[in-house]
Amino acid sequence: MAFGGLLALRGVDIAVEEHQVVGLLGPNGAGKTTLFNILSGLLRPTAGEVWFGGRRVTNLAPWRLSGLGVGRTFQIARPFARSTVLDNVLVGITFRGRHRYGRALDRRHEAERLLATVGLADKAPARANELSLGERKRLELAMALSTRPTFLLLDELASGLSPKGREEVVRFYGRLKERGLTIFAIEHSFRILAHVADRLVVLDQGTIVAEGRPEQVLGSPRVVQAYLGEDDGP
Amino acid sequence: MGRPGRIGLGLVAAALVVLPPLTGFHPYYLYLVSTALLFGTVATSWNLLAYAGQISFGHAAFFGLGGYGAALASLAGLSPWLAIALGGGIGALGAAGIGLASARLRGAYLALATLAYAEIWRGVAHNWTTVSGGGEGLIGIPPLPTLGWLPLDFTRGRAGSYYLSLAFLVVVVAVFWGMLHSRLGLAFAAVREEEERASLLGVHPLPWKILAFALSGFFSALAGGLYVHMVGVVEPDLIFSRYFSILPLVMATFGGLHTLLGPAMAALGLYLVSELLLHPYVPAFHQLPYALALIVVVLYLPGGLSGLFTRKPRGAA
Repeated sequence: MAFGGLLALRGVDIAVEEHQVVGLLGPNGAGKTTLFNILSGLLRPTAGEVWFGGRRVTNLAPWRLSGLGVGRTFQIARPFARSTVLDNVLVGITFRGRHRYGRALDRRHEAERLLATVGLADKAPARANELSLGERKRLELAMALSTRPTFLLLDELASGLSPKGREEVVRFYGRLKERGLTIFAIEHSFRILAHVADRLVVLDQGTIVAEGRPEQVLGSPRVVQAYLGEDDGP
Repeated sequence: MGRPGRIGLGLVAAALVVLPPLTGFHPYYLYLVSTALLFGTVATSWNLLAYAGQISFGHAAFFGLGGYGAALASLAGLSPWLAIALGGGIGALGAAGIGLASARLRGAYLALATLAYAEIWRGVAHNWTTVSGGGEGLIGIPPLPTLGWLPLDFTRGRAGSYYLSLAFLVVVVAVFWGMLHSRLGLAFAAVREEEERASLLGVHPLPWKILAFALSGFFSALAGGLYVHMVGVVEPDLIFSRYFSILPLVMATFGGLHTLLGPAMAALGLYLVSELLLHPYVPAFHQLPYALALIVVVLYLPGGLSGLFTRKPRGAA
């Protein structure tokens, strides 16, 4: 993936297996969010291919990918700011490609259930721009789940949260996994990744520098080097 | 809306219904109030497009396409009723066209594109002399015929066009209400607030934008079609005037962006104050209310007049 003369991603070859949680980490500017933008259809790669569920999906529009089961959150929440929290989750429930309801009441019930799942039931009538940071993160997750995805791209769900909020995020990961979702997650917290991830991929300057089980990767000198720089290593 | 609001609205509606006999079918006053109602229709349809996040500076294009379409059809012998409906369809097509052409433009760029679009149609009307009559325009557009099966008072003189303009306003407000309470409004708001996010949630933004343009263009063009049948003439500089682009924007913003009744109320209020109070006495300043309204909204009333009646003041909506 190149932006003008800048090569943002090069030779990145990643396979995420069904029902697994794969963690993606790397320093700022490594290309993590660019990769997510390609996988969710917001960016078209200048080279390379994307496959999903045995199907080549390179260059498919975001709404098509969403219809196939791809969902995502944003690191900095991007809700429909002046719409109600309920409407924010109703959009996905109403317009998703599969499992649509004909009746407005069914859509509303699912929206209320979904908000209850993330602990926002009592915020349903509030406007999204009135929510606190922690509540916005929950809404992000609820919006991503509103299309009933099978593959979730989670962009720093835990960043900026209090220790209590982080524990909650870990529990959310567990519940999403129990529901059989496949998850590809950007997180910076080694603790969270060690808890939830089956496998880790480390990106640095657009290429994969390490890959494997969390305990292998988190101890690897290449990872420490990517994060801390060559001279500051332990 | 609270109880006082509903009673007030009921009174305004009742007054509008009985206005023609009340004024003794005075043609000038009926013409003025009809025009105010048509502005209310255009302002509400402008607001419908704005609800989908598309800010237009070119509603004169749709108003004028409806005007020319209806005028040409009427002059060719079609019944004015059908001619106005046909004009509405032409306006919807013209609006869908600019919606499609400007699909990638947002904010100020979109506003400029729509402004240019209206100017292009003005140029076409000026120069396509064989069809549009050029700068002199078209004359002899017949008034609305009376309807035999209705009591004469409803359709005689200017009363017919008065009630039709009232009906247009009621219908476009009803459509706006329906939009707010259906998946149409959900999609429009999603596209307006966060287009990329909407696309990740299964909403393909372009068809919704084009639908918003077409609906908005349709009702503005109906108003234009009726307007030319009221005044009997159509000229490029009259009907494609920037007046019909800017005033709906000012009225809708002053009344309250994205609100159901604000734009229509502001249209009636501003237009009638301008024409009834200022025009006869200080004609040079008769457009002052629009300028003041815009300044007041920008400086003090971000939610427009409707913002005064909601408990919690906020940006818009």
